[in-house]
Amino acid sequence: MNAFTTKFREVAFAVLPITLIVLILNFTIAPLEIHFIIRFFIGALLITIGLTVFLLGVDIGITEIGKHLGSVIAKSNRILVVVIAGLILGFIISAAEPDLHVLAGQVESVTAGLVSKLSIIITVSLGIAFMLALGLVRIVFNIPLHKVLSISYLVILVLAVFTSSEFLAIAFDASGSTTGALTVPFIMALALGITVLKKDSKASEKDSFGLVAIASAGAIMGVLIMSIIAKTGTLTGELEYSDPVSTHILLPFIEKLPKVTYEVFLSLLPIIVIFIVFQIFSFKLHKRPLRKIIVGLVFTFFGLILFFIGVNAGFLDAGKIIGNKIASLENKSYFIITGFALGFVTVLAEPAVYVLTQQVEDITSGYIKRKTIMAALSLGVGVAVALSMVRILVPGIKLWHYLLPCYLIALSLNFFTPKLFTGISFDAGGVASGPMTATFIMAYSQGAANAIAGANVLADGFGMIAMVAVMPIITLQLLGLIYKIKSRKGGLKKDEKLRQP
Amino acid sequence: MKNCASLELISVIVNFGTGSKVLAEAKRSGITGGTVLLAKGTINSNLLDFLGLSDQRKEMVLMVADKETADRTLEKLNEVFAFAKPHHGIAFTLPVSSIIGSSVCKIDEKEDDKGVETAMYQAITVIVDKGKAEDVIDAAKSAGSSGGTIINARGSGIHETSKLFSMEIEPEKEIVLILANNTKSEAIIAEIREKLKIEEPGNGIIYIQNVNKAYGLYE
Repeated sequence: MNAFTTKFREVAFAVLPITLIVLILNFTIAPLEIHFIIRFFIGALLITIGLTVFLLGVDIGITEIGKHLGSVIAKSNRILVVVIAGLILGFIISAAEPDLHVLAGQVESVTAGLVSKLSIIITVSLGIAFMLALGLVRIVFNIPLHKVLSISYLVILVLAVFTSSEFLAIAFDASGSTTGALTVPFIMALALGITVLKKDSKASEKDSFGLVAIASAGAIMGVLIMSIIAKTGTLTGELEYSDPVSTHILLPFIEKLPKVTYEVFLSLLPIIVIFIVFQIFSFKLHKRPLRKIIVGLVFTFFGLILFFIGVNAGFLDAGKIIGNKIASLENKSYFIITGFALGFVTVLAEPAVYVLTQQVEDITSGYIKRKTIMAALSLGVGVAVALSMVRILVPGIKLWHYLLPCYLIALSLNFFTPKLFTGISFDAGGVASGPMTATFIMAYSQGAANAIAGANVLADGFGMIAMVAVMPIITLQLLGLIYKIKSRKGGLKKDEKLRQP
Repeated sequence: MKNCASLELISVIVNFGTGSKVLAEAKRSGITGGTVLLAKGTINSNLLDFLGLSDQRKEMVLMVADKETADRTLEKLNEVFAFAKPHHGIAFTLPVSSIIGSSVCKIDEKEDDKGVETAMYQAITVIVDKGKAEDVIDAAKSAGSSGGTIINARGSGIHETSKLFSMEIEPEKEIVLILANNTKSEAIIAEIREKLKIEEPGNGIIYIQNVNKAYGLYE
């Protein structure tokens, strides 16, 4: 078995559950028209192939670039270089993230142009740039992660007091959108590039995680500060909601191609440019590793295109229709249970989840298994989606009713869990809220909100990514607690010791 | 604690995810414990090499046992994991002179060193700076080796530790493990020595051990 078949098998097993659930729903409570089912299957196939190729590309391309970059930055041994590198990398990577552009576009339309698309992109990117620089400084000066996170979220809490609840949802969503399929592996590799240098292997292990978490806190701060400065109150505009109409089977896939290609190219561009610049001036890699990285980038490019086409053309419409049909049912508990089930399986097919779990396995030498992390993630996202569905059904529940207690729990668990898990779990928050959740689960809840009287597609739509980002932090930290309790050494029993000569 | 004639280090290299199974199986044959580490293996395929996919994630399991238990364990492992089939992994044993911290057995303080009984294979271990492992494997392949296993490591000679900001830094290394038939090992070692200029200071080290038993190697 070679690298390709091994990866393909892993990915197929990750995409299978969601395909099965949709199939079961189709034959029970949410029958889909035949062309949607066919499109869904083509989508699942494209996602499987795309994700396989993408992950192979990330392994030998994106991760390698990130690691080289991290180590070069650290080896400069100058604080100014670390800060400036963090600022520049953070800004251009997040400014090129397609998910952020989508979110910014939505914000522009719901604020009726009061907050322009450009200003959102710039403030979020600035927030990420600032925090990424801080995150890098934290690693090289051995500042404990939980302190940085606690202070960051304290700042967020204070800022949130002055922000309207609608903007709060947008801010927390922004943190999820900016940590996309490409950004996460790159930022994680950047941290890894620095930490592998560390002599203290325990510190090296735990400091490899947490940079994604710190960067996404920057996105939240960016939006909150901007909303305070712009004095935006309630949202006035409308978001377009289009019912899926196309009955054509293959056309949607072809239609998406140019747009997806452009977006993938845009998000890959900064990494390529940075790589070329550093290759010429600093890395000077030899032919063999250089060829590997170039092949990796090509894989990443095509894999991501296939993946996004599969998600957008195959899964999006199916998600909307399922949401709409199930929400129209008399018994609303079906709606919540389905939400849980979909959340549970969707996260398995999330690209960045693979990168995180593999990195956890590599860094802990297989001590923390991929399957264990996956289970905790699935549980977290399932609960998050179910709670979000409750919020759509019950208009009285505001987003902060969920977020405040969740973040308080997450931050206080910080003090009990092993430090390694602090980083992993906060990173997992950013990782779980990737493109699969942002499209499929979002489509499900939008379709549902459209069918439920009194639900607002817009206000209830925002905030779900925020929930998906926070719940895994809690479940993974709980997993950390379990590990801590279970891994205490048993030692030899007393009589056994006595029997020894 | 029983006394025994000689100790052996069993090394098993298998596909990623199988390491724990190997250890569990070995324990059933009387092994008291083991250590699993992550490694990278290479594969012989021009197409995969061109695509940059020639690396495979592997796991290596290290276990120490007395000769009798080691032989029994190896037989059992070979039965269960079928090392003879391609891509099922390899297993081999190296002689160990003594062990501390484990209750395996106490070695008789015998002066006469039995050594290895007619070694067929040799284990060549090369430690080089990170990034050079593939060059080592290339050199070994050109001299007739069928591949090798790479383990990420960290470490330094006496004067290599340094400090960046508040971090103590140790240079990254790669350990390359190559098993070779006695007839070929000299050529492989010579090739690696020449290609990587190991003789010059700071370019790494090579050491060679005789292998007692080996499974899963095929020419």
